Amino acid sequence: MPGYNMPGSDWKQTDVVVVDQPELTLFERSYLPQVLGGMGTTLRHMFNVAKRSKNVVQYPEKKRELRKEIYRGVHRLNRDDQGRVACVACFMCETACPAHCIHIEGAEAPWEDREKYPIKFDIDELRCIYCGMCEEACPVDAIELTPEYQLVGQSRQEMIFDKEKLLMVFDRTKDDKPRKNPRITGY
Amino acid sequence: MPKIIIDGKEIECRDKVPVLQAALEAGWDIPHYCYHPGLSVVASCRLCLMEMKMPHPQTKEMGWAPKLFPSCQTPVRDGMEVRFASEKVAENQKECMEYFLLNHPLDCPVCDQAGECYLQDYSLEFGEATSRMVEPKNKNPKKDIGSKTLLYQDRCVMCSRCVRFCEEVAGTGELGIVNRGSRAEIDIFPGVPLENELQGNVVDICPVGSLLDKDFLMDQRVWFLKGADSICPGCSTGCAIRVDHNKGEVWRLKPRFNPGVNDWWICDEGRFGWKYAHDGDRLNKLTVRRGADAQHPDWSAFDEIVRLRFEKVVREKGDGSLACVLSPFMACEEAWLLATFVRSIDSDATLVLGPVPYEGEDKNFPVGATNGHPPKFTIMAEKCPNRRGIELILKSLGGKQAKFEDFVAAAGKNEYAGVWVSGGYPSKEWVPKDLASAAGKIAEAGVLIAHDLFPNKLTEAADVVVPACPWTERAGSFMNHQGKIQPFEAAVVPLEGCQRDGQYLFALSDETGLYNAARVRDKMAETIKEFAEVHVPPQPPAHQH
Repeated sequence: MPGYNMPGSDWKQTDVVVVDQPELTLFERSYLPQVLGGMGTTLRHMFNVAKRSKNVVQYPEKKRELRKEIYRGVHRLNRDDQGRVACVACFMCETACPAHCIHIEGAEAPWEDREKYPIKFDIDELRCIYCGMCEEACPVDAIELTPEYQLVGQSRQEMIFDKEKLLMVFDRTKDDKPRKNPRITGY
Repeated sequence: MPKIIIDGKEIECRDKVPVLQAALEAGWDIPHYCYHPGLSVVASCRLCLMEMKMPHPQTKEMGWAPKLFPSCQTPVRDGMEVRFASEKVAENQKECMEYFLLNHPLDCPVCDQAGECYLQDYSLEFGEATSRMVEPKNKNPKKDIGSKTLLYQDRCVMCSRCVRFCEEVAGTGELGIVNRGSRAEIDIFPGVPLENELQGNVVDICPVGSLLDKDFLMDQRVWFLKGADSICPGCSTGCAIRVDHNKGEVWRLKPRFNPGVNDWWICDEGRFGWKYAHDGDRLNKLTVRRGADAQHPDWSAFDEIVRLRFEKVVREKGDGSLACVLSPFMACEEAWLLATFVRSIDSDATLVLGPVPYEGEDKNFPVGATNGHPPKFTIMAEKCPNRRGIELILKSLGGKQAKFEDFVAAAGKNEYAGVWVSGGYPSKEWVPKDLASAAGKIAEAGVLIAHDLFPNKLTEAADVVVPACPWTERAGSFMNHQGKIQPFEAAVVPLEGCQRDGQYLFALSDETGLYNAARVRDKMAETIKEFAEVHVPPQPPAHQH
């Protein structure tokens, strides 16, 4: 109906997608191959003692050795050399984030040498998939993932890290993993 | 229509247009900054230069002239041959781009234009990845040039579009170029800020991030925004606009090219006048009052509530006891659905056009003398989008009708037992005193249904309060003062608790399913032939800006 696909319609015929589910065969409908396959994996792991004793770490008494410079744990927001938040609120991380877990609100910076800064910077740590795309996207290396992985909280609200909390993570981890020396530090 | 050859391909083009315009319309992507079809031609950016075939001065043999020509300043001539796909042209574009970026701060991450910036686009397409500049760049701090606009001089490419706009379209000429050469900059005259009523357009036509809108400054990155083709409800001009929204919130309005109506421009009143759409005071609950007791039923019950009440009134008081006020802020479809519903219950119901707000006089631009030329832009005094549309519907429905003043007087004398009043005015204080005092009487004696955006005297007294949506949340069409019926689409979902006006009015007229404005329009066209066709502005060339 081409006539209805013009401005003025609030939905379009082309928006409608009809999806058909493929029919299962009788064998598939018994679910036996899936059940047996899963059981097989369980048993394989159960009897492979050598591999298990090599890979298992007795956490929390013992902890894994991390490659700190590339480990992707909790985020931090770096401070620049004057102790201000290094972020310029360019929204590149929010754009790159595949999980849509970053929420920024930009504003005019109160400092002479900077144009824009974030008044709000929230990362939903529960929604994050720790892919590190934000780190890749940042033009001033302001957001980084740290080797911290013990991420606990008592509510969902608590797990949405705001700007202050992310800066605190930086203060906590800067000795462990110092800030890179970015070529551009501000706009 | 002249035929010209571009890059060896013959195209037919409009008469008396520059080669650049013809090429853009034929689908070429020719970089350009200073050329704008709505402004005079200055050929100052030198980015659109082309090669042209000219007769040799001695041999008169046609060949490529050694010099490059600005395609924006060369009118098309039948049979002319030009080319853009040549090394010389590409070399020029590359060098121009390098020159534009000499003093550019490259602060795209914090620049609001990033994403819709032609410095970015053209650098990628026609420029170089690196700069050979070794000297320190000129620094030029941002300037506050008016109450709504900021000027970041170091991002400017000196295309002078803004200067020409203020002079030729606004007619106020606040902006000018001061100094020369590499020190040239855009500035205002001392003590005269940029304060004309079309100033928002300088931000739109700025091809780079030099002129920015204070209202939108640092709010959003433009790639997050989704645009909805809409029509400005600010006045009866009916400018075509794009409502840019993200996550259910409107962020800004931009003009759409609409020749003969608003061309490329919109006024500041329309551009910044949408804030009421997100006002916290908006009505957001369907309310039914029984005495002092107020209930908030579900929207699915709405159809029955209104129908039962109106039918009861007609049963008790007889035909002619209903009246319905249609607001000039309603879309044609909504007004028609409502009016036909009221008439279906009471064939003798009185239909009334709500008060039409006027403000001052029509304002024509450029201000001052136009030297006999028609104005380039008009802001109408009639501050509603759809008076003519409602009048057309009322005319076609015929039957009993009244002027708003007469209706208010009659309502004051208790002549109507069932009244539906549609408001939807952006102003919170639109209810005239007489109507406010009559409202109590109507509600006491019969049924008063108030359909409005904001709480007012009418909604306080009404038996049923129906929350309306602003135009950003509705779909339909407005008929402007020229009689053009222009459709608009809904940009954002209605506020929580509200429903799209068209949707519940659709349900009211015994229809099921989703409201689709175009389908309602098709139905209307059976009785009102004007609605068979709507005015949809043509798409401008893809690479024109």
